[in-house]
Amino acid sequence: MISLKWIDKWWQTMKTAWSNYMTYRYNLFLQVVGPALVFFFIKYNLWNSIYDGDLELEIGGYTLSSMIQYHIWGFILTMLAKGHHAVDLGQEIRLGRISSYLIYPFNFWEFHAASFVAFQAYQFIVALISLAFFYYTGLLGPLNIEALALGILYAQFISIFWFILQFATGLMAFWLEETWILRVILEIMTAFLSGAFFPLEIYPQFIQNILQYTPFPYLTYYPIKIFMGEELSLWAPILTISFWMALGIILNYLLWKRGLKLYTAAGM
Amino acid sequence: MITTNSLTKNFKSYKKEPGLRGSIKNIFKREYITKPAVEGFDLNIKKGEIVALLGPNGAGKTTLMKMFTGIIVPSSGQVQVMGHEPYKRNKEFRKKIALVMGQKSQLWWDIPAMDSLLLLQKYYEIPKDDFDQKIKKMAALLNVEELLHIHVRKLSLGERMKMELMASLIHSPDVIFLDEPTIGLDLIAQESIRSFIREYHKNNDTTIIITSHYMADVQALCERIVLIIDGKKGYDGTLKSFENILGSEKVVTFVYDTKQDPTDAIWQGLDAKWDNNHQQVDLRLPEKKLREITSQILIQSPVIDFHTEKLPIERVMKVLMENPKILHK
Amino acid sequence: MKHYWEIYKKFVSTSISEATSFRLSFFLVAIMDIIFYLTTLFSVNFIFDHVQNIGPWDKNQLLFFISFMLAIDHLHMTTISESFWRFSDHIRTGSLDFLLLRPVHAIFSVFFSRFRAATVFNGIVAWGFLIYYGNQVNLPFLSWLLLPFMVLIGMNLLLVIEIILSTAMFWIVEGAGINFLRMQIQQLSRWPDFIFSKYTRRVLTLVIPISLVGTAPVQFLLDFKNYQYLLFLILFSFILWAFLLIWWNYAIQKYESASS
Repeated sequence: MISLKWIDKWWQTMKTAWSNYMTYRYNLFLQVVGPALVFFFIKYNLWNSIYDGDLELEIGGYTLSSMIQYHIWGFILTMLAKGHHAVDLGQEIRLGRISSYLIYPFNFWEFHAASFVAFQAYQFIVALISLAFFYYTGLLGPLNIEALALGILYAQFISIFWFILQFATGLMAFWLEETWILRVILEIMTAFLSGAFFPLEIYPQFIQNILQYTPFPYLTYYPIKIFMGEELSLWAPILTISFWMALGIILNYLLWKRGLKLYTAAGM
Repeated sequence: MITTNSLTKNFKSYKKEPGLRGSIKNIFKREYITKPAVEGFDLNIKKGEIVALLGPNGAGKTTLMKMFTGIIVPSSGQVQVMGHEPYKRNKEFRKKIALVMGQKSQLWWDIPAMDSLLLLQKYYEIPKDDFDQKIKKMAALLNVEELLHIHVRKLSLGERMKMELMASLIHSPDVIFLDEPTIGLDLIAQESIRSFIREYHKNNDTTIIITSHYMADVQALCERIVLIIDGKKGYDGTLKSFENILGSEKVVTFVYDTKQDPTDAIWQGLDAKWDNNHQQVDLRLPEKKLREITSQILIQSPVIDFHTEKLPIERVMKVLMENPKILHK
Repeated sequence: MKHYWEIYKKFVSTSISEATSFRLSFFLVAIMDIIFYLTTLFSVNFIFDHVQNIGPWDKNQLLFFISFMLAIDHLHMTTISESFWRFSDHIRTGSLDFLLLRPVHAIFSVFFSRFRAATVFNGIVAWGFLIYYGNQVNLPFLSWLLLPFMVLIGMNLLLVIEIILSTAMFWIVEGAGINFLRMQIQQLSRWPDFIFSKYTRRVLTLVIPISLVGTAPVQFLLDFKNYQYLLFLILFSFILWAFLLIWWNYAIQKYESASS
């Protein structure tokens, strides 16, 4: 199965994807600058005014500077793990463009997986630049290289999970006219439950207790903690996320099969 | 009605080398190229005329149409349509024109065409009685009464095109611009759109500008042809004289079921063009000699079928597109 | 004016008939917004488990502000947000050509043509919260009367800023980037201006007056003495609309129309 020709197909797809990202240079700029803008203008300012300049104050065990660090790492994590969107995928299905994939000797999922890998590589560089920037502002404090490497690895692991999930929402286009709605719902829910808004310690105790038994904290809260140099057992998160990934792959397989049946039968 | 004076439109685009390196280079530095789409175009169209704008793909037909309708602004030169400068997009002007594009849709995709038409009624402030009457008349003419309440996305291309036509004509425009209205349609649909336009023109004396790659459209509708090649005007005159650009000979084809001898005496001096099997021959005959020579051949050889050319304009277009220099002779 | 109103009614009814043919999407959009409202309000609530005040405001005042912004968001979501997304499609596919031909102002037919029927009823939720927290902060009687009007003028400012931004799509054909930026701008408007540092606050009030969208009306509703901001907001709305008209006409001159 893995032959040189096969690698070549992936490589070419990735190159095309890169070329595509670069063509719309303003977009690229806006999508990189956009989140940074939000981060600086809102989160940084908001938490500064919540702490009201009190450097000693601890909220949920976080001082102002560790709270800011939590958010910086959250920002880096989002770039590393969550940048890729499956918008095109849904559109291709809606507009009937998948017909060409049914003819190509290259699978639909392979095409999108290759684009995803291309995006990850590109986003990795952007994340490193942002990291360097934050580091030099002094907001991050000293870097722990070991934690950084581990965090990046873990983030890549999570990114595969997000890709599988995004793929599933994209496949819903067989049944749903506007898949972005699903994606936004997913986005808001996971952001809220995984600790992307703020550390889980801020949440009321009973919610923290419930979240313990869900996979959500492993998506944001845990990796941020890893980046921050806390030593955590990785067994539980990796096993849990792997389990959900396997489920996701099965789900995608079923969705694709049924969707394709619908597509070929109705001609859509 | 429509006048242009050295009308010109330039488009800017940029070069991009293929591959990743080209893409990255592109982010930082772009080389722009300015290319004229329409150049020094002079035209004068009178009220009630039907004019065909012809030319190969990318010659500038659509760009011209867009300048006539005010969608894009000319780079230089003048254009006037019914005394308006289209690009000023005066409201009165917009009420008097209509544009149909065979490749684009103005109808809302996910609802029945009737809903879109009702919206247009409001746009153009058409009194309800007028509107109902017009819809009824046009729907009957196009034979689409049943389709008005079906979702547009469920319609066939031909059916949709008929709806597009209705949508464009509902406000009784004085000038209609039809940009490839029959593209991709089957023969029946093409024919019915043609006869609708002809009928509409007869009853309303509307000025119509049409572009098409189907010479049958042109033959059926237009008296006047304007040819554009590389953004410049190549020909402007009647259909009749356009057909005669390459000489006034008629092309006659004879078909045989057995192999013929091209050296036979009857073919002498006739510039006969044989096919590979020597079972079919094309002759170019001067109009005056057409009857004489044809009847001779019919008598002297075992012809099983013969015909004269149906669309001489098609042959002329083909020759001109392959070799535009002929026009400058 | 009547002409435009007649067309707008048609926009609404056409959008409704379109939306109802996709029932699943219809419900999901409504649910999506409710989830957004709840997570936003809960988040702020959780923070107040740990502190008494943020800036000069206590929990109820801030939540009143947040609900005010949710009411703006609801109105925005229902009346115009879909048109912004359609606009980039219109430019890319060239179907904008047809909108430019109509005998009404193109800004109107581009940005007001899509009405999102699905979220109309979410107004009950958004306004429910707004009224609840309005009650908690003891809103004076006159403020209650002015409340709907304030939501409207707040949204008007947000709208004009967003359209000015979107007009750049005439150059930047792939609209996703602009829409992304637009959403960041919305984010900025969702917090009261005092959370920003002095310098940032000035930029967001006087240069890109996005911060006025919520802060000005809410400050005024809470205490009529804070009328200066509101005057700013009204002034800016006029200036920006005037600017938009010029900017739009300029952009349209540059429009190249997708080739067919």
